[in-house]
Amino acid sequence: MKWFFALAAAAVLATGASGVPAQPSEQSATELATGVCSACHGPKGQSISSVFPNLAGQQANYIVLQLDAFRSHERGDPNARAYMWGMASQLSDAAIKGLADYYAAQKPAPGEVGDKTVMVEGAKIYDEGIAAQGVPACASCHGKDAQGNGAFPRLGGQHADYLVAQLQGFQTGTRVNAPIMTAVVRTMSPEQIRAAAAYAASK
Amino acid sequence: MSKLGWKRVRMCACAVTVAGALGSGAAQAVPSYARQTGLACEACHTAFPELTPYGRRFKLNGYTIDNLPQVSGISPNKQETLLLNQLAPLSFMFQTSYTRTKSAMPDSTLPGELAKNGQVLFPQQASLFYAGRIAPNLGAFVQMTYDGTSGTFGWDNTDIRYARSINENLLLGLSLNNNPTVQDPWNSTPAWQTPFDQRSSVAPSPGAVTMLDGGLVDAGVAGLSMYGYLYNSVYAEFGGYHSAPAAAQLDSTSTNVVNNLAPYWRIAYEHQWGRHSWEIGAYGVVAKIHPGGGIALSGPTNKYEDWALDSQYQYIGDDHIVSVSTTYIDEKQTLDSTYGAGASTNASDRLKTFRIGTSYLYQRKYGAALGYFRTTGSSDALLYPSGAPVVGFANGSPNSNGWTGELDWLPYQNLKLALQYTGYSKFNGASSNYDGNGRNASDNDTSYLLFWFNY
Repeated sequence: MKWFFALAAAAVLATGASGVPAQPSEQSATELATGVCSACHGPKGQSISSVFPNLAGQQANYIVLQLDAFRSHERGDPNARAYMWGMASQLSDAAIKGLADYYAAQKPAPGEVGDKTVMVEGAKIYDEGIAAQGVPACASCHGKDAQGNGAFPRLGGQHADYLVAQLQGFQTGTRVNAPIMTAVVRTMSPEQIRAAAAYAASK
Repeated sequence: MSKLGWKRVRMCACAVTVAGALGSGAAQAVPSYARQTGLACEACHTAFPELTPYGRRFKLNGYTIDNLPQVSGISPNKQETLLLNQLAPLSFMFQTSYTRTKSAMPDSTLPGELAKNGQVLFPQQASLFYAGRIAPNLGAFVQMTYDGTSGTFGWDNTDIRYARSINENLLLGLSLNNNPTVQDPWNSTPAWQTPFDQRSSVAPSPGAVTMLDGGLVDAGVAGLSMYGYLYNSVYAEFGGYHSAPAAAQLDSTSTNVVNNLAPYWRIAYEHQWGRHSWEIGAYGVVAKIHPGGGIALSGPTNKYEDWALDSQYQYIGDDHIVSVSTTYIDEKQTLDSTYGAGASTNASDRLKTFRIGTSYLYQRKYGAALGYFRTTGSSDALLYPSGAPVVGFANGSPNSNGWTGELDWLPYQNLKLALQYTGYSKFNGASSNYDGNGRNASDNDTSYLLFWFNY
């Protein structure tokens, strides 16, 4: 078994010799994303659990705004507090920009089409809104293909459950960093929220 | 699991005393990790000490993920020479408990007299932890524990890790630790097996345990292992354990000394989908042991070959959390030393342990758990001797089985109140008069109330 210790020592030396970045703020975005963010958001920004949003292909502006909102505690929904307040607390503006660019450049997760009835209802809300309830069309800001635009996030390829949780957060007031969305979801029923989220996620 | 106190019956067949009732208990939840990462306990734990998928990743990453202001140093060529958290990653744990067995224990010295039933331990255990990053890629979980049963302060679970992500799909690491499976990320292996990671440290518990299930940790060992985690799903680990008791030198005064290295191995596969995760794995150790205790540490050894299977399922929803964990350990004992010395009836024995437990947690505040345990093995009248009250084996059989139920209340994520009941159908080989002194298995049925906080 002596060879084992020799091998282990060699492993330490070999991995240690590859060097560490000079300062955490200078850590490359790829290194941060791979070594830290990927634990929840998955390799290249495609996560498994719907607790954690897919970041692959997300709008860079949107990521910058959210990381900044976590850092300043402006965004305080339960999972934002539990995970992201800590995670974002020591990020510099440059690191945030680097991460945003890294994730924006990744290939988005493919959307998953669900129950047909729900898709039809969701498509109607997404494309046309609900005039009687004063709900505007999602597509007007998030784009016809749900790809997002600047501060408006990509919804296509997102976990539907994550989108539902965000819409509920806007409705109940646990997430308050997007006043437009607070106004949009005010009158939506739980079924309408689920349908719109499922359709947007499927794009 | 507290390593303080008891040496298992099987390993030192002579040391069978009532006072030696075993201590058990674990603590893996440490708020210094929360302070270091800025993550709430719920990020890494369903209810402490059970880890979530993210908690497993944090552990495998070497406890190094960090979000604190740093004290740092660099060399003229910009190489990092220091990176220290401005706050030391220290934590404190306190447990106090009340234990009552169905029938009172016999008095430890006066024949025919009974001890008082209903024991308060204040504390049952109190621990100090250093738990957090030491340097980039290097982190630790170090526990020092005051044990309320023995009244001593001693070294407890330790896991020092070096880990590095090679790319987004492969993580490699090393663990230096003192308890086989303490380094394991799943809660289906013995060191951190949930849901019943805590049991009364004063109530009697079955005398026969396998090496993997506590035998080695009680002997005092230190081990180094290498591990790899691929695609967030395939885990492989290989290492070895060496004797490391608190002693000036290893000689005939030592007991249960591991000959050379005891190789340890572990493979596991985890599949995550949505909010579910399911792990299945195997692990094992092969330990050649000199019984010592007056016998020279040369010549024949006892060889223990353990292999085990384990599995864990978790569903982690916003309101509901369900976990199931199970393990089966099979130990082949080739007792060349003990048999040669006339201290066992058979030249070789088997010992098998099976445990399964499931828990439900509502809004991370209210929990309930139920589990079953069973140990069976070869009868060996010398290895499992009769005669001693409570801890004896009247018919030389190590067989025990029973069930445990528990209710939990966690008013905050770092505070737990647990009410637990353990019922025995069989204890140390029999249901009735198992110790040869008239004690029945059900007399050891245990009610246990635990108050536990970490800060």
